[in-house]
Amino acid sequence: MSLKYFTIEERLNANAWDVDIHRPHIKIKDPDMCRKCEKKPCTYMCPAKCYVQQGDIIVLSTEACVECGTCRVVCPHGNIEWNYPRSGMGIWYRFT
Amino acid sequence: MKFDVAIVGAGPAGLAAAYKLASAGFKVVVLERGREPGAKELYGGRIYAYWLDKYLPEFRKDAPVDRWVRRERVTFLTEDKALTVESAVVEKEKKSFVVPLVSFVSWMAKLAQSAGAKIVTEITVDQFVKDEKGRIVGVQSGPDVLHAEYVIDAEGVNRLLLERAGLAKKLEPEAVAVGVKEVLKFENKKVLEERLGLDEDEGLAWAFAGYPTEYLPGGGFIYTYKDALALGVVVYLRNWPKLKTPVYELVEKFRLHPYVAQLVKGATLQEYGGHMTPVAGINMSPQRLYHDGLLIVGDAAGFLLHTGVLIRGVDFAIASGVLAAEAVKEARSPSAEDLYVYERKLRSSFILPQLEKFRHADRLLSDESLFRDLALFSTEAAYRYFSIDENHRTLFEAVREASKHTKVSLLKLMINMIRMIRNL
Repeated sequence: MSLKYFTIEERLNANAWDVDIHRPHIKIKDPDMCRKCEKKPCTYMCPAKCYVQQGDIIVLSTEACVECGTCRVVCPHGNIEWNYPRSGMGIWYRFT
Repeated sequence: MKFDVAIVGAGPAGLAAAYKLASAGFKVVVLERGREPGAKELYGGRIYAYWLDKYLPEFRKDAPVDRWVRRERVTFLTEDKALTVESAVVEKEKKSFVVPLVSFVSWMAKLAQSAGAKIVTEITVDQFVKDEKGRIVGVQSGPDVLHAEYVIDAEGVNRLLLERAGLAKKLEPEAVAVGVKEVLKFENKKVLEERLGLDEDEGLAWAFAGYPTEYLPGGGFIYTYKDALALGVVVYLRNWPKLKTPVYELVEKFRLHPYVAQLVKGATLQEYGGHMTPVAGINMSPQRLYHDGLLIVGDAAGFLLHTGVLIRGVDFAIASGVLAAEAVKEARSPSAEDLYVYERKLRSSFILPQLEKFRHADRLLSDESLFRDLALFSTEAAYRYFSIDENHRTLFEAVREASKHTKVSLLKLMINMIRMIRNL
């Protein structure tokens, strides 16, 4: 059975958004901490692939965030500052 | 502007409270951060009707229902094998239904509004407002403050407000799982029905264990909307160190597993999302569910019953919202002393007794070897039993061979079976 694989980018593109480009709602408190973090659970547990490892640093892009909050809970160092996007911004589920 | 009651979050719990309070003449406002009620909400796909008949019987009249579930399916899935058990009922029972949460919540919002509740969207509440004595007297969003006699916290599983107010400890990985979900739309409902062997408007709830989560705690699920499937995986946060594949790839691996792929062929992806879900039940409840001026309902209160295959969030949420509304109606003042009536109501309802009853489910379900052993062993044993070669095996021979082949101890398996029978 050959079936098309949807990349995460393709999947996220199916969603409706209202991106708050002026104020990312999630921040890494201390990027140095991520360097030392061994397995970097954020890169495994974020459903929207917001956290990408480049070399030994973590690049965070919040545009496609689905606002689940998993990263904040799973970060072993409490290194993520997490807020909801400003009023009305962010993901807009319509069919789920 | 002053309201009698401010409710944070237009989900099932918050809207149930809003509807009941507005119906009783209270001045109610619901603050919702999304563009519309449901815009930020995501669940598996099914709502149980039994307690809705008691707490929100209006739903039978005109709430949206995609399909009534008359088939329950559980599959142990490995890379190359599957063992499926199905429980079906011929009679057209209406005990649980599948519907997009956003549709159901939108219906609830209209109900609450028609009773006089005010729903304000695109308002993200940042924190509670306290008076000089530490009593909660309103909520704050950016620079705006809204005062209310009572505040009902229906903020959901990611309880930032409670944490910021010091009323709940920081959410631990042990308390929650992350669900990742795809909505897959078919050309029309006939295609879906033929694919899954369903009657018109008949629904299917399907749980998978094993392969979808790399044999870790959690599992996969499929629910049937009218002309679409909700398909996803749920992974316990505490198990992340064992995960080899990121969760956003796990869900696609599950969809593309040959056993699943044949069913979803041709369906287009309509939406993709993720959300946390409580898995620790009552073990993750805040220490107290009522404070001066505040009541906590729904997921924020840990009111979700998770026993592996059966997952109940919406009926608990709605019932807790209704009970919070009754507590407000009966309380003489918003003091914690008077709001104790809320906890009394939770205790004499099904909510706390049922959560108590399954208090130990979480410890068993988060056992890392449980699903691995069950999935590997059961699929192998069934496969060997049904395979005829020079030997026609007895059940016992099939079981013994499977145990040897998968290196799963029969004794351990039996102990786990007993634990499951007792706790789930």
